[in-house]
Amino acid sequence: MPDGLFIFFAALTLGAASLLVLSRNAVTSAMGMILALVGVAADFFLLDAYFLGVLQVLVYAGAVMVLFLFIIMLLDTEDPARAYPWKKAAGGLAVFFLLAAGVLWLFHWSGAVPGTAAGATPPELTDNPAEFATAAKAFGRLLYTKYLLPLEIAGLLLLTALVGVVSLSKEAPAGQA
Amino acid sequence: MSSDLSSLVHWILFLPLGAAALQALLLRRQGAIASWLSVGAAFIGAGLALRILLTSEADVRWHAEIARLGDISLGVGYLVDAHARLMLFVVTFVGALIHLFSVGYMADDDARGRFFAGLSVFMFSILGIVVADNLLMTFVFWELVGFSSYMLIAHYFDRDYAAAASRKAFVVNRVGDLGFILGLAFCLSRFGTLQFEELRALSPAGGWPFALGALLACGFIGKSAQFPLHVWLTDAMAGPTPVSALIHAATMVVAGVYFMARIFFLIDPSLLQIVAVSGAGMAALGGLCALAQTDIKKSLAYSTLAHLGIMACALGLGRPELALLHMAMHAFFKATLFLGAGSVIHGCHHEQDMLRMGGLLRRMPVTAAAFIAASLSNCAVPFLAGWYSKDAIIEAAFRSGRAAEAALLSVAAVATCLYSARMIRLVFLGAPASEEASHAHESPWTMSLPLIVLGLGYSLFGGLLAAAMIPASSLASVAEPLRAMAFHATAPATLVGLAALALGAFALKFYAVEPGRDALRDRLPGLYAALERRWMDGLYRWYVDSVQRRVAELIAFLDLLLVNGLAVRWVAAGVPALLGFLAGRVFHGGQTRAYAAWTAAGVIFIAWILITR
Amino acid sequence: MENTALAPHLILAGLLFALGLAGVLVRRNLLVVYMCLELMLAAATLALVAFSRFNRTMDGAVLVFFVITVAAAEVAVGLALIVALYRRRGTVSSERLDVLRP
Repeated sequence: MPDGLFIFFAALTLGAASLLVLSRNAVTSAMGMILALVGVAADFFLLDAYFLGVLQVLVYAGAVMVLFLFIIMLLDTEDPARAYPWKKAAGGLAVFFLLAAGVLWLFHWSGAVPGTAAGATPPELTDNPAEFATAAKAFGRLLYTKYLLPLEIAGLLLLTALVGVVSLSKEAPAGQA
Repeated sequence: MSSDLSSLVHWILFLPLGAAALQALLLRRQGAIASWLSVGAAFIGAGLALRILLTSEADVRWHAEIARLGDISLGVGYLVDAHARLMLFVVTFVGALIHLFSVGYMADDDARGRFFAGLSVFMFSILGIVVADNLLMTFVFWELVGFSSYMLIAHYFDRDYAAAASRKAFVVNRVGDLGFILGLAFCLSRFGTLQFEELRALSPAGGWPFALGALLACGFIGKSAQFPLHVWLTDAMAGPTPVSALIHAATMVVAGVYFMARIFFLIDPSLLQIVAVSGAGMAALGGLCALAQTDIKKSLAYSTLAHLGIMACALGLGRPELALLHMAMHAFFKATLFLGAGSVIHGCHHEQDMLRMGGLLRRMPVTAAAFIAASLSNCAVPFLAGWYSKDAIIEAAFRSGRAAEAALLSVAAVATCLYSARMIRLVFLGAPASEEASHAHESPWTMSLPLIVLGLGYSLFGGLLAAAMIPASSLASVAEPLRAMAFHATAPATLVGLAALALGAFALKFYAVEPGRDALRDRLPGLYAALERRWMDGLYRWYVDSVQRRVAELIAFLDLLLVNGLAVRWVAAGVPALLGFLAGRVFHGGQTRAYAAWTAAGVIFIAWILITR
Repeated sequence: MENTALAPHLILAGLLFALGLAGVLVRRNLLVVYMCLELMLAAATLALVAFSRFNRTMDGAVLVFFVITVAAAEVAVGLALIVALYRRRGTVSSERLDVLRP
């Protein structure tokens, strides 16, 4: 049975996410998003993934969402003239409930996913070079041994994104705009 | 030793190809350089082939696998046995001299680069057939030969009859090659290999299947212009005369004979009977038809048909070595005849009608001497080149007790003497029948030298070389009819030969009428017309017009109704309509959200499949 | 470390994913759509961490590390695209960005 902390943070996350989806104001949506991400980070803590939790808060809630807020404030995205699209919202709700039912069935009743049954134990891994650890050092060691190539590629990806963003943000020549 | 020689074979094979590539890429405008490049490649090849012929006792073998499909190995390789050495020498030697002749003959031609590139490609192709050690490589080069022949016949492609002739040669050859490739498939599926040597070692229980030999023989019938696919050869004379000499007399058409000798071991005896009779029949008919031609090259083409028939008959009699010997002899004297004809045509300003020639003996002495020498050889005057092979085949027919074939071959021998006498009489003797003939002039040295070497040298003394050229293994079987002819004056072939020569001498007198007239046409017009008429062409025309066209029209109607109407139209109209509806209305609505929704639906669908699997 | 129940975390991740998807489908503002996409990514990382913890192997967690990296790069490029789009067409409403309509 999940403990109290998990229920609290799960409720917080879902509530914040609902705020993100439903709010008509983009800034409110962003606030909901930040809260939801913090909730996810808290869940990471509950799962003993402290380093990832910290990373989530720093990168997402800190950097990414600040970026979002900047852009939201930079662009005037308010469109008050249009009515709230209830019809589409109803469709979205239907999608949500359908998926939610599927998720509950899949993880709670069907037992199709190994390890979701009550009291299930994890499989005994005979060869597990990456034993789960909480310390950031464990990440570092893995990143520079087993995942060295993906790490390099991720670095290249960041560089590419950097260049791409610079070229995209440059003022277009007068004739093209 | 063997590896050394196989590198020689590499050179022989790829020199002409290299020359052709150079000409096609760089020298299309430089005709003079291109022609001498080809001549050089051909002469080097001839020298190398002579070296192989003289030094090699063991077979040259080389093989490289290209692809392996399961148990089936496909590759290229050489198998230069005694027959192949002989053929290599004949092809390269005659080929080189004809190349040299072409330099003079084609001197005024604007497209010399293309012509000589074609000659070199042809040399490459025919040599590939000669050295190939498996059926597949033979087939590939077989088709290359067909292609280069097509290209060379169509050298004067701006003339309608040349274009039509090249098309005819190509199409008729395809008919034969269809059988060839079916035979290839049959052989592969039944025996799992295409290597000559592996096939030879197999010797399946119950003999080789009749169908295999018959299918492979289809290729021979097409390429060697055997009945009933002989119709293309006379039309192929539309090409330049050196091409006629090289391809349609000396090498390509006899490649079929060579191929048959190579696969002789797997041919069913009953098929050989058919080949013998049809070959002998064609020998007689071809010789007679040559009497009713006014075009000098067409007359020679019928003579070639007759000799191909003789070779086929030798094959059918079970004497492939005699067929190959005749192939070699025929290559030399027939090349001389064609080159002589080319020289005459050149000298008479491209006049090909024999009835408009005459009296050329004095004006073109070298040509006349070579032509007459080759004609005598053709008539099998004793101890000239043709006698060693042609009369040996006739003698072999008599000795094996095949009366029908022997009789037909005797008719062919007589016919040979008749048309040779007629040609000599019309072209070289008597008085000039036209303005061109009276102003004829001797050809340049590039043209006379090959004539001297081939005609005088070879036709007269070829018999001396014959002994050197006959493979040691089959020397005995060749020598036996020869000995009979040489030492027993009453051997049937000797009698037939002498009778034929006497008739030839009579024909010389028979044709000695006023210039521009043909004695036979004047006295027996019905017979002449019957010989001149192209019966098989008429038959094919009737078949194509009346039978094939009807069937084709029926099939076309069904095609229109069923395939086009029901299958294609319905599908063609229905599928785009459905797709257009889906694409235009449902998937491709231009709404970003719709795209996202469809993507999500796809992802969920895949996830559902993965979960419930 | 004692075992942790897997199912509740997976359900939370699934619900978050469903919310994000519904948002992507419903919202018009591209920026909000983009945030919903990020929410879906976060849901996926949550599931990964849960599995990683349950199976006691770090591989899933390392994958999350990379997901965060890629997401950061993606957000930067995506936001730059949205800004460029706004400059050209003066709107970030997905309903008005329909030039692909045939």
